[in-house]
Amino acid sequence: MRGVMAVFSALLKSWMRSKAGIFFSFLFPIMLLIIFSTVFGGGGNSQYVLFVQNLDVDSNDNPTELSQGFVEALKATGAFDVRSLEHDVDIKEYVRLNPSFSFRYRILMIPKGFHEQAAEKTVSVKVKVTVSTLEVVGEEFAAYMSPEDIEGIQRGELALQTMLGSQGGESPQLVLLMDEQDMAAPALLGIIHGVANAFSNGLVGSEEVLTIEGMPLEQRTMKVVDYFLPGFIAAFIMTNGIIGATTTISEYRRNGQVKRLATTPLPKISWILANVLEQTVLAFILTGVMIALGWIIFDVRLIPDAYALLLILVGAVAFCSVGMVLGGVIKDVEAASGAGNAIAFPMMFLSGAFWPIEQMPGYLQEVARVLPLHYFHDGLLQIMVYENPGNAGMAFVVLGCFAAVMMVIAVKITKWKEL
Amino acid sequence: MSEEVICVENLVKKYKPVIAVHDVSFTVNKGEIFSLVGPNGAGKTTTVEILECLRAPTSGKASVLGYDVTREEDEIKKRIGVMPQDFNAFERLTVRENVELIASIYQVNPDLRSVLEELGMWEARDRHFESLSGGMKRRVGICMALINDPVLLFLDEPTTGLDPQARKETWEVIRRLKSMGKTVVLTSHYMEEVEQLSDRAAVMFGGEIIAQGSIDELISAYGGGIRIRVSPCNEEIETILMETAQRVITEDSAMEGVFQERTQVAKTLAALYQLDEKYRLDIVEPSMDNVFSRLAGGRVDERGELI
Repeated sequence: MRGVMAVFSALLKSWMRSKAGIFFSFLFPIMLLIIFSTVFGGGGNSQYVLFVQNLDVDSNDNPTELSQGFVEALKATGAFDVRSLEHDVDIKEYVRLNPSFSFRYRILMIPKGFHEQAAEKTVSVKVKVTVSTLEVVGEEFAAYMSPEDIEGIQRGELALQTMLGSQGGESPQLVLLMDEQDMAAPALLGIIHGVANAFSNGLVGSEEVLTIEGMPLEQRTMKVVDYFLPGFIAAFIMTNGIIGATTTISEYRRNGQVKRLATTPLPKISWILANVLEQTVLAFILTGVMIALGWIIFDVRLIPDAYALLLILVGAVAFCSVGMVLGGVIKDVEAASGAGNAIAFPMMFLSGAFWPIEQMPGYLQEVARVLPLHYFHDGLLQIMVYENPGNAGMAFVVLGCFAAVMMVIAVKITKWKEL
Repeated sequence: MSEEVICVENLVKKYKPVIAVHDVSFTVNKGEIFSLVGPNGAGKTTTVEILECLRAPTSGKASVLGYDVTREEDEIKKRIGVMPQDFNAFERLTVRENVELIASIYQVNPDLRSVLEELGMWEARDRHFESLSGGMKRRVGICMALINDPVLLFLDEPTTGLDPQARKETWEVIRRLKSMGKTVVLTSHYMEEVEQLSDRAAVMFGGEIIAQGSIDELISAYGGGIRIRVSPCNEEIETILMETAQRVITEDSAMEGVFQERTQVAKTLAALYQLDEKYRLDIVEPSMDNVFSRLAGGRVDERGELI
């Protein structure tokens, strides 16, 4: 044990005095956490940008009352950052001349005559409702009415139908121009459709049969950084273990330090344990730094409990063992570093550590579910964010088995003779 | 009779299809500096790494301090000190920290100051290993090898790559080790180094020992004798050399006589000094370079390659 601690202490001191080691183990993850949390969650505008070209203007180029009312209704949803396009702009030409604009254009065209058509349609609908009502009254309640009353109703019906015949009755047609590749298209169409329905109901004076109210799922307010923090902790424990340990081991093999230690009474297992211990301590330090950073910068207070610490320990052992295996197989430092990167980076991005795997295509979701990092960050998410360690059972099982297998392979692979 | 600390019998190490060490046998006595000398690829390092328990022999027997290298590794490792070829330590640890690391592994508490002072490294104790010169790094390696107070030290190519000054300083350190009563097994491709430091040596070539013995014995047997070169040569000088030398070589205006016996050399010099002629006289003592040239048919360059 004294040998393990002596080598561990040497490895740790050596790491702490390495600027590159500190940068890639701590500063790089911190930078990424800040960037991701700021870009994807921190105070940005989450509204859809919607350009509106209102062609329904009066002789003074002012928008008509109803067309302006519809634009205000769109703004009132809060879902859109509504921006106006002048009515005399040729949209096709505008898109052609503004390629960056055309990359994600969403343009709603309010046609000329919107106000007039909408007003006529409103009258038409109201008349139809009245005629329909008079028909029902005439059929259902004729037995209770005098002939004069019935005749009066019939005359009114006739007059209204005559009036209907003189109305155009055409609904104004809104046009939404969007990029075919725009994945938000269904959502946008749904929102605009909802606004149009509500606008129509308002014009004819009908009431909504169904209402909906948005309620928070949980009492606790979740931030994007809540999701990122466990993901980043897991991802960078993984990269430190795989890339860091691989590079260190192969470098120590190449420069003869492993041989130097092998000439002493230090057993091979002590060398392996010292490396695993170093990576575990680094994992805990990284966790502490990330949590402190989340607290200071994003006001996120995730305190890891015993379950989280245990999972971090298992994860650190698992991924450091992978590094020991690679470093044991590949003596060339550059090749070892390349192999570590080739494994770690795809795993980092495919496992769902940086975004929910549900956002990925189906086949990639299947890939994510066979990656140990997926279980690692999901386990930490369950324990640290959802405070539900019961849901992290699979993470413990998968990572525990993975760690055991990799450790056995590391012990077999690591050479202490014939170096 | 000298006490043997290493006994090697018919040692073989094969890496298919190469035979790195072939039927090697030698002994090392307590308190001596024993060298394995030869070019790169001769099998020197493979042989000592078998003795350091870093490699397993394919066949043959080897014991170190009475312990079998294949069965009693732990006992051997506790008792020996090693500075491997291309020695390195933790770059960003200080000299003291690197030496303390090895002390902790051996579970010993030596007087670090005396160990470092003995090799002139006390002043540099707080310097990072990476900031040291090549010669200082080797001295740190020797400090680390000495930390468990071993009776036997293996120094594998301890001066390779060092400048002449650092090499001479390292030689002094190695001589001091002998004066401390340590037995030293040295590998080197520098013939001069072996000649300067060793009591006995084994010349390795192609995985085999092609000659071994004390340095004097090797030079006497394979050095090719003492050479007296006279230039320019005239008839009188030629007569003297022809009468006294074992062999005479004529080269342009110069003549070289080769002598096996020192008495013959003295007799020849006395005869030459009586001449009134003006001439240049060079006496060339045989060296390990000559030994190796005669045995292997070539010389070893600075990098250890056979030329």
